[in-house]
Formats: sequence, structure tokens, C-alpha cells
Amino acid sequence: MSGETPPREPVERVIELRLPSKLGYERVAMDTASSLARRMGFQPDRVESLKTAVSEAVTNAIEHGNEHDAAMKVVVLLTARADELIVDVSDQGRKPFDQSRAIRRPIIEEVLEQDDKGGWGIWLIRELMDEVEFSTALSGGNQIRMVIHLEQ
Amino acid sequence: MSTSACSQTSLELSLPSELGYELVARDAVAAFARRLGISAERIEDLKTVLCEVCINAMEHGNSLDPGLRVEIFCQVENERLVVEVLDQGMSRYTAGATPLSIGDKVAGRGSLRGMGMLLISQLCDEAGFVPWSGPGNRFRFAFHRQPGPNLHG
Repeated sequence: MSGETPPREPVERVIELRLPSKLGYERVAMDTASSLARRMGFQPDRVESLKTAVSEAVTNAIEHGNEHDAAMKVVVLLTARADELIVDVSDQGRKPFDQSRAIRRPIIEEVLEQDDKGGWGIWLIRELMDEVEFSTALSGGNQIRMVIHLEQ
Repeated sequence: MSTSACSQTSLELSLPSELGYELVARDAVAAFARRLGISAERIEDLKTVLCEVCINAMEHGNSLDPGLRVEIFCQVENERLVVEVLDQGMSRYTAGATPLSIGDKVAGRGSLRGMGMLLISQLCDEAGFVPWSGPGNRFRFAFHRQPGPNLHG
């Protein structure tokens, strides 16, 4: 026997949430995520950041991915690990996410001159979360993964 | 989450069988009920009932095996919020015969535990196990709509 033990998989607990694609129900995801984060020991200011990021991500999934089709679901996976909380938000949408939006940093002066003052959500999520990644969900829709680290 | 008979306004939640996670479920379902316009007072009753039912599913149904799941389905049916809680347990459990009164329990004539089902039946408008062919237990309870905004919001 070499005495070496294989690296252990991180212990994680997963909560899955399926929401209707109706504006307002993002609050269910916010409250669920914040409840779990408090239980994990996140500081109140980090919990507030998480709530804002989850709200933006779920609202995007409802509005852009699922295009307000109430028959479609938004799936939120909350994965709690010892040192981080991973939030995956996916939609069932037919409309693929514009990847250029994921890297664009809004310029305040330009945005103020536009009729549409939106488009800040992705930037905000990146500012608030420690890791953000965009991909295609198993359902074929869009998926965003947000990670927030737990500082001991 | 395999079983579902969802209306469009529905919530599905799946969590590990580990004590403490019923509090996360409680906050999720309370937020859902607020969206439906259920009164704050009734939501407090709903939170208590949901916690009791989830703890029963974790403890008695799933024998506190964190590898097993508890699944919660919430939907609006005929102006009621209907909640079903499913476990994957090997053991069937049901309420005991007639539970002892609080007085009897305090007097030491029985276990101090076992008041959950009584509490559930007092707080919600209907509650009980649903017979089904799947594994585990399926418990269903409902809260009638209070006069006020339309539940389908």
C-alpha cells in the first residue's frame, strides 16, 4: 500500500427549483438562494449580492430565454459546498444567448443616450459574483453558472 | 423530479434528506405563496405545516439518508394552494391512532413527540396521505384562498 489516499470529491448538497416563466417568480429563487446562503454562513452583504445576481439571472431567463412563455420553466440548481455556493440558472428557450453580451461592459454615457436603458444585468452579475460562466443547458436552452465563495 | 402534474403556475422543489433543509424549502414555498396573494397569517401556518411534513419525510420516510431526496410540488387547484411532499423511503408511515393530548404528554403518559400530524391537521384546510404506486410516501395538504386577489396571478 502506498499510503496515498485518492483526492476526495467535495461533499455537496443540491437543491433544485423549477419556476414558472412569469415575472415576479424570480423572488422565489431569490428567497431560496438567500435562505441557503444564510444557512451556509455567508455574511449579509454577500447574501444581498447573491439575491441581486439570482434575480437578474432568473429575470433574463424568463424574459429573453423563455420569452415570458408561462408553460416553460426556469430551472435553478443550488449546489452547496463547504467553501462555495454554485447557482445554475437555465431556461428552455429557443432564443440563444448573445455571447457578446457576456463580455460587454456598458459605458454609462452611451447607455444614457439610448432609448433602451437595459442591458446592465450581465455586467452586474459579473461584478457581484466570484465566477460567472455561460453555456448551453441540457434542455438546449441557455445556462448561466454563478459561483460565490464562502470566506471563512 | 420525475412526476409532475403542473399547472402553469407551479413550483417544484427537490432537496436532500438532511435536517435543516426544510428551512430552505419553507422560505421557497412562503415566497411562492406570497406571489399568489395568500395572507401573511396563513403563510405562517403554511410554513409550520411544510416544515412538519418535510421533517416527517426526512426522518420517517427517508430515515435521514442524505442520499435520498424530498420532493415538493406546489400548484393552484380550484383556488387552493395544494402542496405535495414526496419521500423515497422504504418505510410507509402514517399517523398513529388517536394521539395523546398535550396534557397527557406533559403528565408523562406518553412520548412528548408525535404531535406533528395533529398540528398539521389543525393548521391547514385539508391534509392526508395520497395512495399511489410509487416508492415512498406522498403527503398532500391544501390551503384555501382567503378573500382577496386572484390566486392565478
